[in-house]
Amino acid sequence: MNLFRSEEHARNWDGFDPAMEDALRPLAAWAELFSNPFFTQRIRSDYISFMQSEEGATAFGALRAGLPKRR
Amino acid sequence: MPENTPSERPSPEVLDRAHAVIMSRIVETAEAPHYTALAAALDIDLAAARDITHTLVSIIPGWTHPGTDYLASFPPFNLQPTQYRISIDGQKGWFAQCGFEATAIRWLVPGKTVAIDAPCLCCGESMHIEMNDDGIIAADPPEIVGYTNQEVGGDAASRPFR
Repeated sequence: MNLFRSEEHARNWDGFDPAMEDALRPLAAWAELFSNPFFTQRIRSDYISFMQSEEGATAFGALRAGLPKRR
Repeated sequence: MPENTPSERPSPEVLDRAHAVIMSRIVETAEAPHYTALAAALDIDLAAARDITHTLVSIIPGWTHPGTDYLASFPPFNLQPTQYRISIDGQKGWFAQCGFEATAIRWLVPGKTVAIDAPCLCCGESMHIEMNDDGIIAADPPEIVGYTNQEVGGDAASRPFR
């Protein structure tokens, strides 16, 4: 889960796996995905309970749906 | 009376309090409390605090250093240095668990500017990003991308090593 100077740099990385090309996304796209309540709500004093609530489970489901998939 | 003993699964309420204590301590000091300090903060016994530490990292997910009770990663932060150096309103000292989690640190410091400084793993040249809870303020170079060759969140068994 790394940042690279550009798409070309990511593709030139010795760890690049074409089967995970879906994971090659602009910074803004990752920042948006990491704006899910799973991340934004960490500041809550009841974060663990929140994530185990129906609302938290719905948020986590949405997060998982947006994650890259191996080809 | 202790609120919890290691023979019981920690209650959601005590896990909530423990998470809040650890997270706020990391935000304030860039250091995670040892379980002995967590025990004092929560007014529970030492064994319960140690158990809670391990239970919490299995949930969030973070990890302890293998074979120890030392918190090594408590997302979005890493307590061991990574290449993702974090500054908050110009103050240095934090590290992100990974490049993606670095973008989520801003949610813990509303109204403040989070700077991410990291080398590119391809060439070693620097990248600099500034964000706040409104979005990305600056990115140098502007073409920065994120990439992972593995499942986001990672295989649990390999988390301490990725």
